[in-house]
Amino acid sequence: MLYSVMDAPFMGMIAGTADGKRWSSNRVAGILVALLLLIFSLTPSLATAQSTPAGFEELAADATSAREQNDVSRAIELYGRAVQSNPKWADGWWFLGSLQYGNGAYAAARDALSQYIDLTPSAAPALAMRGLCEFETGEFADSLKDIQRGLSMGAANQPRNGKILRYHEALLLTRAGRFEEALRSFAFFAHDPDPNPELVTALGLAGLRVPILPKDLRPDRQDLYASAGKAALDYMKGDDAAARADFQLLFERFPTTPNAHYLYGYLLYATDPDAAVVELKRELEVNPSNPAAEVMLAWIPLMQNHAAEALPYAQKAVAEDPKLPSAQLVIGRALSETGDPKDGIEHLEKTELLQPDDLEVHLALARAYSAAGRKEDARRERLLCLEMTKNETTLALHP
Amino acid sequence: MRRHWPFILSPLLAVLISAAAVPALGQGPQIKPEAACVSCHRAQSETQPRTPMARALQLPDTNPTLKDHPKLATRKGAYSYTVETRGDESTYSVTDGTRTISIPIHWNFGEGAQTWMLERDGHRYESTVSFYPSINGLDFTTGDEDLKPQTLEDAIGREIAMRETKVCFGCHATNAVSNGKMKFESLRPGVKCEHCHSGTSSHLSDAVSGDFSSAPASLRKLSAEDISNFCGQCHRTWETVVRNHWRGEATVRFQPYRLANSRCFDGADARISCIACHDPHQDIVRDDKSYDKNCLACHSAESSASTAATPASATAHAHPKICPVAKNDCVSCHMPKVKLPNGLMTFTDHQIRVVKAGEPFPN
Repeated sequence: MLYSVMDAPFMGMIAGTADGKRWSSNRVAGILVALLLLIFSLTPSLATAQSTPAGFEELAADATSAREQNDVSRAIELYGRAVQSNPKWADGWWFLGSLQYGNGAYAAARDALSQYIDLTPSAAPALAMRGLCEFETGEFADSLKDIQRGLSMGAANQPRNGKILRYHEALLLTRAGRFEEALRSFAFFAHDPDPNPELVTALGLAGLRVPILPKDLRPDRQDLYASAGKAALDYMKGDDAAARADFQLLFERFPTTPNAHYLYGYLLYATDPDAAVVELKRELEVNPSNPAAEVMLAWIPLMQNHAAEALPYAQKAVAEDPKLPSAQLVIGRALSETGDPKDGIEHLEKTELLQPDDLEVHLALARAYSAAGRKEDARRERLLCLEMTKNETTLALHP
Repeated sequence: MRRHWPFILSPLLAVLISAAAVPALGQGPQIKPEAACVSCHRAQSETQPRTPMARALQLPDTNPTLKDHPKLATRKGAYSYTVETRGDESTYSVTDGTRTISIPIHWNFGEGAQTWMLERDGHRYESTVSFYPSINGLDFTTGDEDLKPQTLEDAIGREIAMRETKVCFGCHATNAVSNGKMKFESLRPGVKCEHCHSGTSSHLSDAVSGDFSSAPASLRKLSAEDISNFCGQCHRTWETVVRNHWRGEATVRFQPYRLANSRCFDGADARISCIACHDPHQDIVRDDKSYDKNCLACHSAESSASTAATPASATAHAHPKICPVAKNDCVSCHMPKVKLPNGLMTFTDHQIRVVKAGEPFPN
């Protein structure tokens, strides 16, 4: 099992000492010392309340002492009493939450970290750790939200932190059916020299668009998803020849598996859109009703300024899955770029409601509004797109 | 190699999507339509071949730049580069002082500034150095300044994959890409009629029999937004630049992007379209004053009065500001000339604006 609860991932994440493999339980206690020392350096603000109740200082000192002596149970008890005595003691909530997390008391850890976050809203490590707690308690939507907020605030600044958070983010995105985003998170592991088998299987689940966690996979299906995951990982590594061989083997062994050709086509699009089209069309031969493949078959000509070619695929995709945001996006673009801006904009505005933070939606709206003569709306969308991309700028390099 | 792959709803579409865009390319029998086009489209056919676009790719025997500069040389780091031309043959050489690699130049990209696509052992390279008229000599190819070649072979240039090869030829040549495949056998250098006017070949065969129903769609009828996206297939669309997160002075090369950033850009107003100012069949006009009429089409008392009198456009294009300083030479102030970061090329910034002294380059 990789980065699982039993492996106390976040402790390794903060301490930077774990190797990504199963931790033995007797290692945890030893690592806790290093963990908690480092926590101080990663926590942006651990201010103690200015006026404190009688006896609080003594409790806090005892709790710190217990923690430093690695007496986890005693430290938890003392921190608990200290924060009851002084609920504004941010440090106390943080240590209480992180110790409870390390002890596997995820619901309690989540609550303590929530108190800490209320007092220190910009604490990225705490947000991320609460997200990991919520993952363990099955609060998956909250977990994803917290992990992504933590990531956006820099919780993954250390490589080890990045691995644990990206892995959980990828699992949660897969479970939520946001497969393309999950693949992007899995790409973080492309150059991992020794990827864990669970990660490879999880990548296979995302690639073949199965919204479950690896632990919920039937044992007799492991082989399929591990094979798909390996093929995708080889592609992400840049080993085209190995990926091609992996995918051919996958197609031979599992010829009717939905989304296998889609996965290859989707990945190929980056470097060879024409080859991608071939795979996506093969997907529709195997699986005639596949809105994701239809979306990509619409998207590719849209990016080549051939909206008329995109329209039939976009129409089929949206007919088959009207709630799929990407289907609404491609039909919106295809319509507005083939002379029907009114209907096109209607679809794009629907997409915006579904995915307000998606750059592609705003790029499409800018173009559609502009073509429709809605100058101010177009300008608003353009400025929004520029704002959305301002922090990840790169120089324009090649002609 | 670190791989990023694009994705339908993600910023990670990044660099790769823009490269997917190639212009409409003619299909059908491989004839040279422009030779026949002249019989009906005389004015365009006579002037277009002299434009920089028509000469966007030159073969060795039609490259006056290299003939006028028979020996070019420069040194970059540990390597020395020479481009020597004898008759119709040019050779690109790089040496580390001990060994020398020499490659014949077949593909000259660009009319003024020139970069060479080199072929060696089945691989293609963008030359490490290019010719720049501004220095009348060689310097690093734009964008390659930070390359640190470790071997003589690396020093030749940046290796180009087939996908990028298709994009290069897709823009700089005609009939280079068909059904997604690179077609060297049908390629003709530069932008010819059918590069932009898709369906030229069938129009030609039909026209011979008096059938004009298959004439290519008129690009003149495209909206400002659509023509911007059409030209942007090579000159880069606003969307492509934003999607790739390109910023900085180097984006001044991407005119459709810069134009769409202008406060006055209106995708439904033909007066701000690329072709309102530029006739692609004519050589580029470098006299700033000649563009005054285009600016004044909106920014004049007469224009404001006429647009206000038109109910449909009155709200969309209400009262463009009238310049309090001058009524001529608008471009010299409102579209400043910007040098690329390497200082070797200068472009007119198409982000039309009131320029304030000392302000940073607006992104």
